[in-house]
Amino acid sequence: MNRAVEQYADMVQRICLVHLRNREDTEDVFQNVFLKYMLYRGDFENSEHEKAWLIRVTINACTDWLRSLSRRRCLPLDAALKECGASDDSSREVLEAVLQLPDKYRRVIYLFYYEGYSAIEIAGILGRKENTVYTWLSRAKAILREKLGGEWA
Amino acid sequence: MNRIRESMEGIRASSELKARTLQYLERRRGRRGFSLLRPAFALAALCLLLLAGTGGYAWYSAPVSYISMDVNPSIELGINRFGRVTTAEAYNRDGEDVLRRLSLKNKPYAQAVRNLLEDETFGSYLTDSAALVFTIISDKPDDMRRELESAVTGQSCQVLTYVSDSYCMQEAHSHHMSFGKYRAYQELAEYDRSVTVEQCHTMSMGEIQERIDGCRSEHEQHHTNTTDTGQNIEQESPGQEDTEQGSTGQGNTGHGHHGGHHNR
Repeated sequence: MNRAVEQYADMVQRICLVHLRNREDTEDVFQNVFLKYMLYRGDFENSEHEKAWLIRVTINACTDWLRSLSRRRCLPLDAALKECGASDDSSREVLEAVLQLPDKYRRVIYLFYYEGYSAIEIAGILGRKENTVYTWLSRAKAILREKLGGEWA
Repeated sequence: MNRIRESMEGIRASSELKARTLQYLERRRGRRGFSLLRPAFALAALCLLLLAGTGGYAWYSAPVSYISMDVNPSIELGINRFGRVTTAEAYNRDGEDVLRRLSLKNKPYAQAVRNLLEDETFGSYLTDSAALVFTIISDKPDDMRRELESAVTGQSCQVLTYVSDSYCMQEAHSHHMSFGKYRAYQELAEYDRSVTVEQCHTMSMGEIQERIDGCRSEHEQHHTNTTDTGQNIEQESPGQEDTEQGSTGQGNTGHGHHGGHHNR
């Protein structure tokens, strides 16, 4: 478990914060993700498979968390940005724009730009059609372009 | 590096969060082990309780002594180690009629016998000419005989008490007969080899006892005559064989009125 936590903690934390924007919720989901990992009895074919499994589980855990109305306590964006530790104004601006995106767009933007997955791979991770992912990516890019100008990526 | 990636680079899990998570997982791992075992423990505990309950009840209800009461109704009582009736079996229709009305289970056996004697149907057979025969299988037959004697005080009929054994009981049950009546049949058969179990099925204990008494008188008469003529027939004496095979409630002979007590 130590290896998995050490190797994937930042990634899980990133997905949690991008989705939840709430540190307390992040910690709950973060711990639940690794609990699921500990209880998982299947075999991973390789580290990529393991990583993709964790991404999917984390996104699902975040989604489940957000579905609960009683838990929908989003931090003000400023606080969330502070938690995210954006290093400079430029990064802060970009991150703010990303965090303001609708959930599904935020998700694909993170996977595409941060994790470097292709649309096909994102479709596989999210269990969505490839075209749906393309559409979300396209719309998310359009929103970001509008907010950040042409040089946002 | 694209700007989005750069903006998210600062998002990291703190070492405190990782440590708390590892502690949390450790706790859950322990609890998980317990939670997985808990149903097993509960099931095992339930099984133990059931076994203890079943075993305890089996231990309580297992008869360690038996009393066969035969007049015309033939009834066998199984007595547990606490002296209480745990089984009551009838071996003829009269016995079934009586047991249908009486609840004898868990009563002290002397009380159960009194209840039987007080029963209208059972009591109707206790005429002056009847023979109420108790046959006992017990580790302490003398104690049981004394209890039964006190329970039947005041009965006008002939009351006899014998001791038998589990082997005799098994044989009796193979003939669908109480071991008390079967013991009487065996005694009669010692004198009259032509008598069959089937015949005894239809006879009351009074009738069997009457034939035994008659045979015994004839035998004693014959014995006296042969002794007078100098012949030795001790080897043919059924009474002698009985003495070797078992004992009566009074500890002398196994069969006949020598072993019982009369209460007229």
